[in-house]
Formats: sequence, structure tokens, C-alpha cells
Amino acid sequence: MDKKVLKGLLIMIACAVLVVSVVFVFVLHSEHSELLEGFLYGAIGVGLFMIMAKILSLIQKEGKQDD
Amino acid sequence: MIEFDIPPFLIYFLGAALILLLGKGKVRKIFLVALAVFGFVCVAQIQPHTGWVFPIFSGIELTFLHADRLSLIMGYIFALAGGGAIIYAISTVKESGQYVCGLLYMGSALGAVFAGDFFTLYIFWEIMAFSSLGLIWYEGSKRARDSGMRYILFHLFGGCALLAGIIIHYTNTGDIAVQSIEPGIGYFLLLIGIGVNAAFIPFHTWLPDSYPKATIAGTIFLSIFTTKTGIYMLARTFSGMEAVAYMGGAMCLYGVIFAILQNDVRKLLSYHIVSQLGYMVAGVGMAGVGMGVMGLDAAAMGTMVEKLALDGAIAHLFNNLLFKTTLFMCMGAVIYRTGKNNLTDMGGLARKMPITMITCVIAALSISGIVGFNGYISKGMVIHAAELKEMHILAFALTLGSVGTLISFIKLTYFAFFAKNEHIEAKEAPLFMLVPMCITAFLCMAIGLYPKLLYWILPFRDAAFHYHAFALGHTLGTVELVLMTVFLFFMLGYFAPHEKITYDIDYLYRKAGRGFIWFCENPLARFAIGLEKVVLRIADSFVTFGKNPIRGIRMVVDTIGVALLKPFVFVYNLVIHPVYRHYERDLEEVKMRPAEEPLERMSIGTGVLLVLLFFALYLIAMLIHGWLA
Repeated sequence: MDKKVLKGLLIMIACAVLVVSVVFVFVLHSEHSELLEGFLYGAIGVGLFMIMAKILSLIQKEGKQDD
Repeated sequence: MIEFDIPPFLIYFLGAALILLLGKGKVRKIFLVALAVFGFVCVAQIQPHTGWVFPIFSGIELTFLHADRLSLIMGYIFALAGGGAIIYAISTVKESGQYVCGLLYMGSALGAVFAGDFFTLYIFWEIMAFSSLGLIWYEGSKRARDSGMRYILFHLFGGCALLAGIIIHYTNTGDIAVQSIEPGIGYFLLLIGIGVNAAFIPFHTWLPDSYPKATIAGTIFLSIFTTKTGIYMLARTFSGMEAVAYMGGAMCLYGVIFAILQNDVRKLLSYHIVSQLGYMVAGVGMAGVGMGVMGLDAAAMGTMVEKLALDGAIAHLFNNLLFKTTLFMCMGAVIYRTGKNNLTDMGGLARKMPITMITCVIAALSISGIVGFNGYISKGMVIHAAELKEMHILAFALTLGSVGTLISFIKLTYFAFFAKNEHIEAKEAPLFMLVPMCITAFLCMAIGLYPKLLYWILPFRDAAFHYHAFALGHTLGTVELVLMTVFLFFMLGYFAPHEKITYDIDYLYRKAGRGFIWFCENPLARFAIGLEKVVLRIADSFVTFGKNPIRGIRMVVDTIGVALLKPFVFVYNLVIHPVYRHYERDLEEVKMRPAEEPLERMSIGTGVLLVLLFFALYLIAMLIHGWLA
């Protein structure tokens, strides 16, 4: 399978998983909704650290990491 | 069985003294291995009791061996991880002086842990600071010397705050036993003093600044003792403080954000110390007030949740020492074999250093809290305690911290071992490095798979045994979190290492430091010179007066006279004399003119104005006259 197609497929699966998790955790509030919280924490965490890395890149200096 | 009832610090201090006599050959190697094993055995067989008490003044006793469940678990892990560091150092350290520093550092950390009073604690606290400085300075470069200076300045500041807090506490209570402190200025100073060692934000900057610049073996020693002693003292004196718990959450996120941005592997690990300390600080903050003082005797104190929180903090400290020591050892081995510090220069080491790679991956999985490894157990305890205490923001921050930890350790292991790099040359680490790495990595897995090994030695084992580490919801949630994070890491490809410097708060400290030096060298120095001149003149006057008092009195009178009249002379010279000179010159000029010179004509308007002016003056005079009458 083409690499791009595979990547697109994986992203679609991940999005579907996230949508299902959001529905279970925030809309249905079922007994088992906590069983899907891990996906959401993972996605929120990665998003947060990407944003923080972007913000901190504004005060980064070019050059070798030293002092 | 022979029992050694001696404070553990004596073993290592004695070892530090003896190692200078052993040269650099095989005898020294055998001695070091024996010392590591003997030290651990001695600590392992200490029973809970108090001994080695020395009265120094009336009412003050120094206690060098106070063992309860809390100090014992600290002793076990310090002796174990420290012993590993000693054996690891055999391959890389040539100078006996470095061993002396390492052993003094280890001994003083154990001395602080088993200290029963604040003064003994302070003595060992300061020995720790100076002996660890040696491990940084032995690296020999300018950047190590500079960083060592910043390190010791921070620790001297913390030591001063600690001593001031101890003195105030003693003055208020008359008691120097290590215990919870009453709120007040002493409480605040003690918190700062301990907070410097525990890397509270914003006092954390000495840690990522100095640890990557120490020697390879020195970094292993440094990563074990200073911060963990801080956490231990925090548990002893400040347990149950909610602000401390939230500080833990902040440390967890702050450390991990900066860790993700690092390229230098030891700097990345150093920021992760700050982050992992956050879990411990949060656990201590959620525990019951005064829980850390009593240890085993406090079994009846506090709720089950508070006990779980303190257990979680101490369990994470124990586990963190296992996986963090392994990680520093692995990266030390990589640096030792390749001479490279940065992730951008590494890669392709998985085949060349397979045992190092496996131990590093185990430690990375442990610190990331993956199911089946020890980090999963202790992080879970702290996060579960936060959920039960309904501190949802804290629980959320700690969970996000796990995501960040996973991101940075995928980055570390992938770019160090698995990324393509055909030019790198390396071979497997020496045996003395591999043995401690394998032991600590094995313990990470053993505790992860069978957590009861750890539960037995925790301060509140009843609470620990009530905790279900492998509950379905928690396990499944962790697996989902890991899957999603790993997927997004590789799909987005956003967190690749780069050669950039990221500013931390120490940028401001350095600016402020330079400003302070400028202030000292310029305005303050000028003021000092001026003051010196004045003082010298006063001193001269006294000398002159002493030689001839009559002349001196006359001089004083004259000086006062001159000082009093000088303003009048000044005013005279500035105003009266110029005006006088003007009229004098004008008079001379007028006299020189002929009497019959033509009059100057005025216009009619000017004449009318003058008449009106005189009339107005007349009216004013009449008015005043009438008003006075």
C-alpha cells in the first residue's frame, strides 16, 4: 500500500477513535466512559506540548546548546 | 549475624579517607566494589531506633542515627543507587579526588537522611553542597567551573535560608528535633532552604545548568542525592501543605516542557528530574499534616488517601532513583563511547551498544509510566490520591506530565539508538558500567511486575496494599494514552531535536547578576571612594588637633567662621558686586557726558502713561491710608 494512503488511513482511524471517546466522555457520561479517557488525555497532551514548544521557540536562540 | 549499629555516613567518610592510600590499581577497584556492597548491607540491617546521641550544650543533643520506616527506605535506595554509581565510576574515573568527593557526598546525604535533629541535618546539608561541587569542577572545563560557581551560590543561599529557619524555629520552640514547623518567618525560610534542594520553581535552574556539565560519573552521583534529600526533608517537615501539592503539579509540567526542547541528552534528563520531582512534591503536599515526622508511629494518623499520597511520593522517589540512575548511566556510557552529547549527533547505536540500548529502553518505559514497569505503579498512586482528594486540576496536570515524559523519552531513545547514522563509531560499554545498569533496569521491571516488593518497605504499607495498581480502568487508560501519544509523535514528526538554546528563568538571574556587579563596580565603588576621602579627612583633623589643641581650636573656629560667611561672600560676588560695578560704570559714563547734550524726547502716549501711573499710585496710597484709619 502506498505510504501516503496508509498514513491517511491511520489518521482517519485516530480521528474516529477520538470522536468516539469525546462522545462517550462528554456527551453520554456512561459508566464506562472513563475507559476511553486515555485517548483524550494523550491527544490533549500532545497538542498542549506542541503549542508550548511553538511558544517557547519564539525565545530560542540559534547555536549549539551550551550556556 | 553481626549487627552494625553505626551511622552509614561513617562508612563512606572512612572509605573517602582510605581511598587516598590505595593508589590507582586493582586494590582500589576491589575496595570500591567491597565498599558499595558493605555499605548497602550495613544500611539494610539497620532496625528502627534512635542512637548516637551526643549532648553538646544544655538542652541540645545532636542525633546522628534516627531510623524509622521513612528514613530506612531512603537509606536503602541511597545505598543501592549510590553503590551502583560507585561501581559505574570505576570505568571512567581515574582521580582519587573524584572518588573522595563522591563518597563524601554519598555519606553526607545518608547523614542528612538519618539525622534526628535540625543542626545535624544542616551540617550534612552543607557537606553535601561542597562535596558535590567537586564532582562538577573535576570536569575541568571553563563552563564546568562557571556552572559550579552558580551551583554553589544557589546552595549557599539555600543553606543560609535553612540555617536562619532552624535558628528561628529553635528560638521559638527550644526544640531542634526534625519535625513539622509552625507557620511564621522560620517556616518560610525553611521552606525556601529545602525548596532550593527540591528544585522548586523558580529555584530549579541550578539543576539543568550544572548536572550536564559534571563528569560522567559525577552526574550519576548528582542525580541521586541532592534533590531526593530535599524531598525527604519536605516530607518530614511540610507534609500536608496544599500549596506544596500544586507546586508539584507546576514542576511536573514545567520540567517536561523544557525537557522536550533539549538536544543535550544529560540536560534533557536533568529537566526530567525537575518534572519527576513534581510527582513527589505533589504526593507530599497531599499527605496528612505531620505524617512525615512520625513514620511508622503515625499509622493511626491521617486518612487512607493521605497515607496513599505519602506512600506514592516515597514510592516514586524510590522508583525514580532506579530508572533515572539507569538513564544517566546509559547516556553516560553513550557519551563515554562516542564523545557526543547531543541527540542531533547520535543515532545508529542500537546495534553497536545493544545492552545499553535495552537497559535504556527499560528505564525509558519505566519513567514514562508504561504498564508493567515501576513508574506506572508510583505515578498511579500519586495521581489516584489526587483524584480521591478531588484535586482534579492537579490530577490532570500530573497526567499530562506523563504524556510529555513519554514524548521526550520516545525522542531520546529513538534519536540516540534507532535513527539512521552510518558514520557513528562506538562499541558496547565496559563491564563495570553495564553491571549496575543491568541491576537497576532489572529492579525497574521487577517492581513493575510485582509491586508488593516495594509496598513492603513503604511508610504506610496498609494503604499501599489497598491500592490496586492493575485496576482495569487505570490500566486501560494508560495503554490508550500511550498508544495515542506514540501514534501522534511519529505521525506529526514535530518533536525532532534541533540545535537551539532555550532560555529558562536563569537568563533573568544572569542579567540581574550582571546588573548587580555593574552596580558594585560603578556607583557603589564611587560612593566608597568618596566616603573613604571624608573619613580620611576627619581622621587627619583628629591627628592635627591632637598634636596642637590650641591651633586646632583656632582652626575649628576659623573653619566655622569661613563656613558661615562663605555664602554671604558668594552672594556678594554673584549679585551685589556686579550691580555695584554696573552703577559705578554708569555714573562714570554719565559724568563724562556734556551737560548741554540734547534731551531725549518722549512721545505723548508715554507722557500720558506716566501721568496715569502717578495717579494710580496716588489712589493706592489714599486707599491704604483710609483702610488703615
